[in-house]
Amino acid sequence: MSEPLLDVRDLRTEFSTDDGIVRAVDGVSFTIEPGQVLGIVGESGSGKSVTCLTVMGLNDAKFATSTGEVLFRGEDLLKAPGARLREIRGNEIAMIFQDPMTSLNPVHKIGRQLAEAVLLHEDVPRKQAYARALELLKAVGIPRAERRIDDYPHQFSGGMRQRVMIAMALINNPDLIIADEPTTALDVTTQAQILALLKRLQEDFGSAVIMITHDLGVVAETADEVIVMYAARIVERGHVRSIFNEPRHPYSWGLMGSLPRLDMNVERLYQIPGQPPSLLNPPAGCRFHPRCAYAMPICREQDPALAVTGTDPSHEEACHLDAETKARRAAELVSSLMTGAST
Amino acid sequence: MSTAQTGNELLVVEGLKKHFPVTRGIIFQKEIATVKAVDGVSFALREGETLGIVGESGCGKSTLVRCILKLLEPTAGRVLFQGEDITGLSRREMRPLRRNMMMVFQDPYASLNARKRVGFIIGEALELHRIGTPAERRRRVQELLEVVGLNPEHYNRFPHEFSGGQRQRIGVARALAVNPKLIFCDEPVSALDVSVQAQILNLLKDLQREFGLTYVFIAHDLNVVRHISDRVMVMYLGKAVELAVRDELYAQPKHPYTGALLSAVPIPSPDTGRARKSVVLEGDVPNPINPPAACNFHPRCPRFQAGRCDVDTPPLAPILDDHLVACHYPLERWPMDIAEQPAAAAAQPVESAG
Repeated sequence: MSEPLLDVRDLRTEFSTDDGIVRAVDGVSFTIEPGQVLGIVGESGSGKSVTCLTVMGLNDAKFATSTGEVLFRGEDLLKAPGARLREIRGNEIAMIFQDPMTSLNPVHKIGRQLAEAVLLHEDVPRKQAYARALELLKAVGIPRAERRIDDYPHQFSGGMRQRVMIAMALINNPDLIIADEPTTALDVTTQAQILALLKRLQEDFGSAVIMITHDLGVVAETADEVIVMYAARIVERGHVRSIFNEPRHPYSWGLMGSLPRLDMNVERLYQIPGQPPSLLNPPAGCRFHPRCAYAMPICREQDPALAVTGTDPSHEEACHLDAETKARRAAELVSSLMTGAST
Repeated sequence: MSTAQTGNELLVVEGLKKHFPVTRGIIFQKEIATVKAVDGVSFALREGETLGIVGESGCGKSTLVRCILKLLEPTAGRVLFQGEDITGLSRREMRPLRRNMMMVFQDPYASLNARKRVGFIIGEALELHRIGTPAERRRRVQELLEVVGLNPEHYNRFPHEFSGGQRQRIGVARALAVNPKLIFCDEPVSALDVSVQAQILNLLKDLQREFGLTYVFIAHDLNVVRHISDRVMVMYLGKAVELAVRDELYAQPKHPYTGALLSAVPIPSPDTGRARKSVVLEGDVPNPINPPAACNFHPRCPRFQAGRCDVDTPPLAPILDDHLVACHYPLERWPMDIAEQPAAAAAQPVESAG
């Protein structure tokens, strides 16, 4: 196997707030290979966005402290000085944000914003930077790009703005793109356009992608590897088919069971009782135990580690439940989702 | 038409239109254009059913509901509630009727007054309609809190003390307070996480069964609409393009736009999701100030036939029992590649132009 592009080891990020310390990311490790698509799913507050902001070094240093290692081609980004991070950001690692309206500067023409991204990292004539900007706008499918390069962000629709964001992310041929909920603010037909575009560009440019989303459908259709996060920790990870065809963590079962489906009728949705815990004061032991239907005494005391319990050696989950129960429950859930019977 | 009235319709909407003027100038506000936000929508709602309305942003779903509730004055058309024409009623005349029609809003953070206690928020409608004594109202509010799965002792708390899902429960309790017959839900779960979304959807279904409620449920999420609706109406640029019984619509969509919407929804299963051939529609929803002529979907439609679709406006007409579609060349089967040219067009070349 080749050397991983990004190797995150035991990452922990804490924010100090008026109410106490919030551990927004608590011991997260993962790797991503060149050209791979990694999906991170979880609900609001599960730590998926903070994980990626920490990788990019974008947390406010006044309130946030991070420990662990973020090795990008062997270089620890957590220890890298600001100047080095600025060199990497937008060049080797690029980010696509959720809301394209607030992440583009409203007072500059988009051509200038795109060219600026090139000029920051490369010593090329302005003209060449604009030519590159135009090329990218064409690549992301903006009609009449020669004219639209002189438009302001407000002159674009939501989907078109997201295309501009993608063009900006790709302009320096990054090795890694972090996309934080790139289609959440868009309508379904636009979402389909953007996902198809990202996939095509990812294949053309060979970039690795971290796709953060709360939409299991988006992950199922785009990712190679999947990480499920709950309350600042990874609860399950594996290959996309393995995760969806044999989910092994009760939280993943809950997530999949609670989705209304387009391809079947379910009379009553499965619901995970209760609310996600506060990270100021997370539950002891397994953090999911207060909401888990399978909680045992050990779950209250001992925090389960990620471990392989099934047949697939790349599929790990953090749960004390015995392997047979997991396998049986996974099979039940998946077959019920296949036939549409209620669980 | 399936809107044929049998007498037990709770709500009948006929040719409802809402046009907003676009003006230029400050003193002499010259009208330079109109936005046809809702342009001739008709449907009938039976008691106890749920009508789902789907469409992309800007297709007029929220404006439609606001016109029915007379929060906006419709430009044309009629709204009948329990057989009574409410279109011409004044605000005062509307007031007693409002008890029967309530609304649940999208954003549970913005739709609850942050300075009022939950007990007041839920009980305000009771007070406005002068129902019961203060003690009775208090009991009713506590009962409502219990019905929506909250602790009745939280009567005196403020909205910020609740999570998003709990706030949406408060919004539902508020809508239920005066025992309405009809509840309009405008994207009630789109601001919530999936696990919480399931809780609210189940709650809405339970309440419907218990109190015999009728819902109009607006959402852009086709999965959610499928789960909750009995019938579904698809809107595009202010017009209804398809209206059918839920299973029929999802199994046999007839309008190419419905087909495109259905195939654009990501399926949470890598095997079926990636195997399916999805149709990616080109372009964006056109500007409603200057919508395309005739069928306003024609510039994006893969089955577009020149000389017919851009000349002749297709009416919303029945294609099967209880299945209406506004298209000259409805899809022949499903699943199919909607880019495939319509069989009817190949058989009879364009002659009906005009």
